Amino acid sequence: MKAIDKKRQADFQIIAHWVNEGDRVLDLGCGRGVLLEYLKQKKSIYGVGVDIDLDKILSCVKRGVPAYQGDIRAMLATFPENAFDRVIFSRTVEQLEDPDAVLAEGLRVGRRVAVGFVNKAFWLNRLNIFLKGRRTVNEVYPKPWYESLPANPFSVAEFEDYCDARRIVIENRVFLSGDWRSECSRFPNLMAGYAIYDLASID
Amino acid sequence: MNDSEQAPLISDEGEVGFVDYQDFVSKEPFQFVSGGSIPELTLRYETYGHLSAAKDNAILICHALSGDHHCAGVHGIEERKQGWWNFMVGPGKPIDTTRYFVICSNVLGGCQGSTGPGSINPATGRPYNLDFPKLTVQDMVKAQSLLIDSFGIDRLHAVIGGSMGGMQTLQWAIDFPQRVGRYIALACGARHTAQAIAFNDTGRQAIISDPEWKGGNYDPQEGPAQGLAVARMMAHITYLSDVGMESKFGRKRRSGDQSREHFEVEFEVESYLRYQGASFVTRFDANTYLYLTKALDRFDLHSPESLDVTLQAVTAPGLVVGFTSDWLYPPQGNREVVEALLRLGKDATYAELAMDFGHDSFLLRAPQLYELMHRFLSR
Repeated sequence: MKAIDKKRQADFQIIAHWVNEGDRVLDLGCGRGVLLEYLKQKKSIYGVGVDIDLDKILSCVKRGVPAYQGDIRAMLATFPENAFDRVIFSRTVEQLEDPDAVLAEGLRVGRRVAVGFVNKAFWLNRLNIFLKGRRTVNEVYPKPWYESLPANPFSVAEFEDYCDARRIVIENRVFLSGDWRSECSRFPNLMAGYAIYDLASID
Repeated sequence: MNDSEQAPLISDEGEVGFVDYQDFVSKEPFQFVSGGSIPELTLRYETYGHLSAAKDNAILICHALSGDHHCAGVHGIEERKQGWWNFMVGPGKPIDTTRYFVICSNVLGGCQGSTGPGSINPATGRPYNLDFPKLTVQDMVKAQSLLIDSFGIDRLHAVIGGSMGGMQTLQWAIDFPQRVGRYIALACGARHTAQAIAFNDTGRQAIISDPEWKGGNYDPQEGPAQGLAVARMMAHITYLSDVGMESKFGRKRRSGDQSREHFEVEFEVESYLRYQGASFVTRFDANTYLYLTKALDRFDLHSPESLDVTLQAVTAPGLVVGFTSDWLYPPQGNREVVEALLRLGKDATYAELAMDFGHDSFLLRAPQLYELMHRFLSR
């Protein structure tokens, strides 16, 4: 596996740890279906991926991963409560048009929701803005702003505030440092490069 | 993301070349779902490629309303027109005839060699015409299953079809889950919208109100040519799209702007549609048109029980493809099928192709469709 893939797949093992054998898993913003393929192998799940991009769906088809091309919010609306054991947003929330509503839908359709995101308040991001006045460019996000998808990045602290305000139960949280590999536990809003949350509705 | 996976280049493509049709004849009475029966049945079909010794490499292709069994190759050196899905079926093509044994049959009720309203009723020695039993998509599929039996094939590697063929494909997956290895349904849906029924009925009325229709008992050499041509012209519009027609014809005029008669062909699009209408009449039977469109209007996977109950029977992995510019069977109707399958925990994939050519997009060669079919069949 290339180093860049390793970094891109930072949350795979952690999410796989939270997923139970044979779970019904919905991966929102599934990209090329690599996570679902991994979960299928590790945990024999029934998985479905959702992505807006046909090219990504083509890759899912190649991997034998069932996939749905379309809008996440509209798709979620067609499912009953708790249709899935696990709903996954891996680096997806920052690209949603209405993250609040979609997360609420995710929590309705899934018993548990995993959210993985890049921590906007990571010290290096702060430093780049503070010293250089420029956003961080790295191997996962190598493109300049004008070639990137619209994104609405947020920090660990902001996400915790959100869960608090919406009374979302945080069952687990894992923070990874800047290499997106080793776990870090102290001052996550400053020290975590990547954060993964395991969420549940209040009842 | 910039991690595009290099699409494998499709290797050298070949052609299936010269093909001949065959006739499958069943001398057993055939019982229709809505009652009624016929004493015997013929299905005209073509095959391409070779059936493996284990008989496990067969793909059934289901054609659309105005299609037929001739989906690839040519019938003779004189024939310029290749089968209707020639770009999809052949050596090295997505439906690869070096790997698969491909079967395509003219549907029951058809008029290209299969038993239909225009066939002679052995009991009377005269054409069935309107005595032909009420036809459904289920009947078409049941008849095809007899053809598949005749090859000794238990299980098809895949069933594939677009439009009416897509509906047959879904029906196959529901009625014969053990016999379908996987399925691909293109540009279809669980049932007709009110708009689709409305268009079909306008076409039917054009036929029925043509005095030459004669209550369905017309001479096969004559018949309601005018009514059938108008029905076809109107239906053809629903197969295209505003954007597609605009780019193909725009307001181009036929020969300058000098039509002397006020209502002569003036615009290119008129000429095209009139040609479509006129040529359709030479190859299609009016009563078949009535029967097939009615079968499609009646097709409804939401009934008698809900879509989720109907689709419960499906076991095979499926791929459903909608086309953004298809306003006859809009993406929503295709998507709905997959949403239900996913609610049921089935292995189903929905892809939506952004193509400009309306409902008929599935009949056009597009790299993405090519890639999608190729990958799904070989996964």
